[in-house]
Amino acid sequence: MLESTPYQRQIWLIFFFLGMVMLNFPFLQIFNRLETIWGIPLLVLYFMFGWPASIGVVYLFSRTLEHNDYNLED
Amino acid sequence: MNVQVASAVFFLYFLLLFAIAGYAVKRRSKGRSLIANPHVYSLSLAVYCTSWTYYGSVGRAATTGLEFLTIYTGPTLVCFTWWFLLRKIIRISKEHNIVSIADFIASRYGKSTALGALVTIFAVFGIVPYIALQLKAITYSFNLISSNGELTSMALQRAYPAIPEFIDTAFIVAILLAVFCMLFGAMRLDSTERHEGLVAAVAFESLVKLIAFMCVGVFVCYTLFDGFSDIFSQFLQTFPEKSHLLLLGDSSTPATKWFTMTTLSMFAIMLLPRQFHIMVIENSDISHLRTAMWTFPAYMFLLNLFVLPIALGGLLHYDGNTALADYFVLSLPLHNNESALAALVFIGGLSASAGMVMLESVASATMILNNLVMPLILRFNLRRPDISGTLLNIKRLAITSVIFLGYFYFHILGETEALVDIGLISFMAATQFAPAFLGALYWERANGRAAATGLIFGFAIWMYTLIVPVLVEAGWLTQSLMQNGPFGIEALRPTALFYLNNLDMWSHSLFWSIFFNAGSYVTISILSSPSSAESAQAVRFVRAATWKSETKESKRISKAPTVIEFIDLMAKFIGDKAANKAISEYLGDREIDEKGSLSEYEIPNLKRFTEKTMAASVGAPAARIIIENYLAARGSKMEDVFNIFGTVSLSRDASREQLSVLYDVANLINSGKALDSILDSVLDLLFRQFRFDLCAIRILDEEVNLLRVRSYKGLDSGFLSHADREINLDTCIGHTFINNKVVLANDSDCADMPTSLAIVRELKIKSFAHVPITVEGQPIGVLSSYSRYAKGIYTDEFIELYKNIAAQIGIAYRNSIQTVQLIEASEQQKQLKIAEDIQLDLLPKKMPEVDGLDIAGICVPAKQVGGDYYDFITYPQELDIVIADVSGHNIGAALLMASTRTFIRAHSRQMFPPQTTLSTLNGFLYQDLSSSELFITMFYLRYELQKNNLIYANAGHNKPLIYRPATDSFDQLDAEGMILGILPEVDFEQKEIAVDSGDILVLYTDGIVEAQNQFEELFGMQRFQDMIRDHYTKSSNEIIDIALDETRIFQGRRHFNDDVTIVVVKIL
Repeated sequence: MLESTPYQRQIWLIFFFLGMVMLNFPFLQIFNRLETIWGIPLLVLYFMFGWPASIGVVYLFSRTLEHNDYNLED
Repeated sequence: MNVQVASAVFFLYFLLLFAIAGYAVKRRSKGRSLIANPHVYSLSLAVYCTSWTYYGSVGRAATTGLEFLTIYTGPTLVCFTWWFLLRKIIRISKEHNIVSIADFIASRYGKSTALGALVTIFAVFGIVPYIALQLKAITYSFNLISSNGELTSMALQRAYPAIPEFIDTAFIVAILLAVFCMLFGAMRLDSTERHEGLVAAVAFESLVKLIAFMCVGVFVCYTLFDGFSDIFSQFLQTFPEKSHLLLLGDSSTPATKWFTMTTLSMFAIMLLPRQFHIMVIENSDISHLRTAMWTFPAYMFLLNLFVLPIALGGLLHYDGNTALADYFVLSLPLHNNESALAALVFIGGLSASAGMVMLESVASATMILNNLVMPLILRFNLRRPDISGTLLNIKRLAITSVIFLGYFYFHILGETEALVDIGLISFMAATQFAPAFLGALYWERANGRAAATGLIFGFAIWMYTLIVPVLVEAGWLTQSLMQNGPFGIEALRPTALFYLNNLDMWSHSLFWSIFFNAGSYVTISILSSPSSAESAQAVRFVRAATWKSETKESKRISKAPTVIEFIDLMAKFIGDKAANKAISEYLGDREIDEKGSLSEYEIPNLKRFTEKTMAASVGAPAARIIIENYLAARGSKMEDVFNIFGTVSLSRDASREQLSVLYDVANLINSGKALDSILDSVLDLLFRQFRFDLCAIRILDEEVNLLRVRSYKGLDSGFLSHADREINLDTCIGHTFINNKVVLANDSDCADMPTSLAIVRELKIKSFAHVPITVEGQPIGVLSSYSRYAKGIYTDEFIELYKNIAAQIGIAYRNSIQTVQLIEASEQQKQLKIAEDIQLDLLPKKMPEVDGLDIAGICVPAKQVGGDYYDFITYPQELDIVIADVSGHNIGAALLMASTRTFIRAHSRQMFPPQTTLSTLNGFLYQDLSSSELFITMFYLRYELQKNNLIYANAGHNKPLIYRPATDSFDQLDAEGMILGILPEVDFEQKEIAVDSGDILVLYTDGIVEAQNQFEELFGMQRFQDMIRDHYTKSSNEIIDIALDETRIFQGRRHFNDDVTIVVVKIL
């Protein structure tokens, strides 16, 4: 069984609230402009990169669970 | 593409789905599950993305811009919490055998039936619009593809005019989906098993819809346009006035709406019945979460990557016309003559819709069956031998009903709205579960009443703020309701409740519904306290993560039950095979001690496991009661009272109703009430449950050897209800009792018993049964029931149940007898104690000191207090010696002895001669003695000290002895006289005798001469005299000791059967 430490669970929660902030106003206002980069509007670009980035964070964290598990077995 | 081709594609795809589901089921039966895989699990979660996503997102993007993203970013955020939130939910659900979200909430709040029903009703109401949405999408897309991109209706009818008008694509899809769900979602009646075929099909559909959508995305971006940036640049150039679609926070998507949407979708991903079902119930391994946490968001990202380009491409392609915006995905390939791609897109859309309808209808049907139908069946105790077939059909009916409710919603109300709006209505409904659900996980004080109130408020406001506007739009309610409010009350306008008119309708609805829902939930939880059942569940839910290692093993059960007992218990309810299988799976490699039993710390776990296993077949509340009572009954003196497990020999397929009756009987018997009250309640139960016309219990009255009616219920018939029965073979009841066998009969069977026949005919009794009530195998009474129904009422299975009930009554009877005996015994004990105290108090505390005499006396009470008594009264010149024996060994005898003593002492002053004393005493005691049926023997002797003369009288007492060593002879002091209390007036003879120095006077009661040895030989007068003769030189005390010793040696034990009293006076 994969286990997690209280420390890890706190990190999850922090990232969750960070995500809440970054995906809501007023934070979104930073990118809420009609400027384009490579022809793509800033806000669209933010989502196109921000979203996969957050998924990447979840992915990395899910790996640490496994890593932690090995440590426990040791 | 014409209708024929579209139909062919449609049916072939469905055929493929059936094949995949069938294959998955087959693989599972071989033990190689297709879906026990983290990626398949992740794909199946993507059932979240329905046709609402598939078609609707593009429509939403084309009309309101980026707002559609919230529906997916919300769930992505929730994924961050899955490791502790979802993991906890899954753990709890597996621990408690939870099968739906209704079950989860009901179970948490004390396994409340009412709450389960409430959640089910709200959930079904909430998802009907969503199902309608799916059917709508399939119908529209079918019409679109079969008419090459024109949005028409009745595509089928145009191609095949013979088809009746009501048969549209939605109708056919509804039927196909219903059949699929019945096959793969309701194959067996065991909702704890996962639906292998269903999940496999759903996962496959998720894959298809993703591929199809990505294909059309690539097609639009790279065939119609020159990549992402080309689309955006062209769009901004062509439609500068529509640039708000690429921005947020303006009038179309204000910040509040963005927040509302994100919140809604965060709750929806957890609380929509189908999501709960696929995430929690169908989860085969909790570690799959680790993968699903990132693959599921990744899936949503990929699916949404091309939404905006397709939407903008569509707008460019159709010159900003948004009429077809919801179906750009399909119309773009169609209008560019990409038939194959269009077919793929159509199939993708079909997949998105079908998967959702399948899971939602199965999840709803499970809730309807477990939380609405089962409680009703248990409540009304529908009497059927085996209802599992019926239940399965009810589940199938529920699946079909839910799908067709959606179908009717689509036809009646669904035409008026865009896809996204319908979906959000369902999201809002699911969100209403949030307070009760989150409280269930994290707040121990939360209670069921609070949850129910919150839910009712939440749903009432949901209806009012979202459904009422839909009804108004459909023309069912007047427009003025929206503008002026009901009865002109402006404060109650559905979309501007309490003048809150500056929010969009979603934020408005979310705010008010959650405000009242969570508000009442929190308030009531704080003001009232949870019941003990709720508290227990609260601890199990809230502390689930740490619970295992902490409290789980703390409560030790005294006198640990063995594994075998648990298996037996389970086998009663789920059958031997299943019980053994379950237990071996449970035990696995657990530690079992050398005696084959579990360590006592394992027992609580095993208890929980047994309860959980049984919950799957009898429901959680019943399982809990059974286990708790079983364990409570074990080890106490009530152990065999709870004999539902000891005497039950019902076949394992006995219906739940029968078990429930038996269980109720066991509970009644366990109630500790008086026997008559228990018997009345049992008959009442039988009478109600089985609709007999008469039930009666007759119990043997041993004194008159009659079976007396102890209790009856129903028809008031002299012979059947009141008359006692003699124990002979003339009546059926007599037969039953004498042969100790069930007598089962219909009216023609008692032809050889004319009385019975006449009465049974007269009362129109068609059939009856008599079952012996036994205690340890011996009949003590008969349980009878009479019915005016046809003979078939007494099936073999029913008779088994009936015998078990009779056995329970026998136990109740025995317990009551034991209780009475116990009370009697303790009363007697108290009496004896009092009697003993009185008796001891009456005896002389010390011997009188008289010159020239060596006096000793003793009274040795037997085990039961006797009525022996002796006393000395000293005068200056005389010494009176009294010895007496009262028959009877109770408090009355002791009191009589006390009054005897008082009388003698009171009259001593007058110095009556012994004969007068006795006759006066007889007159005084006669009334009391004769009324209490007691009598007294007494010897009264007066020693004239100066003269060495004895004057005596005797009232039937043992004759005292005088041993004269000088002559080595014995004199017996005999005088005529009757025992006291026989006649009112008696004359006593009085005699005198002289004594010399060295003589020994011995007074005694019958206890010593009648002491018996093991050969029933009496100690007798000769031994007594020999003993005196042998030891005459010794002191009085020593003579008494020797006498007692010799008697004890003779009889071979320490205790006397009767009191032994000896008084020895040695003349010095």
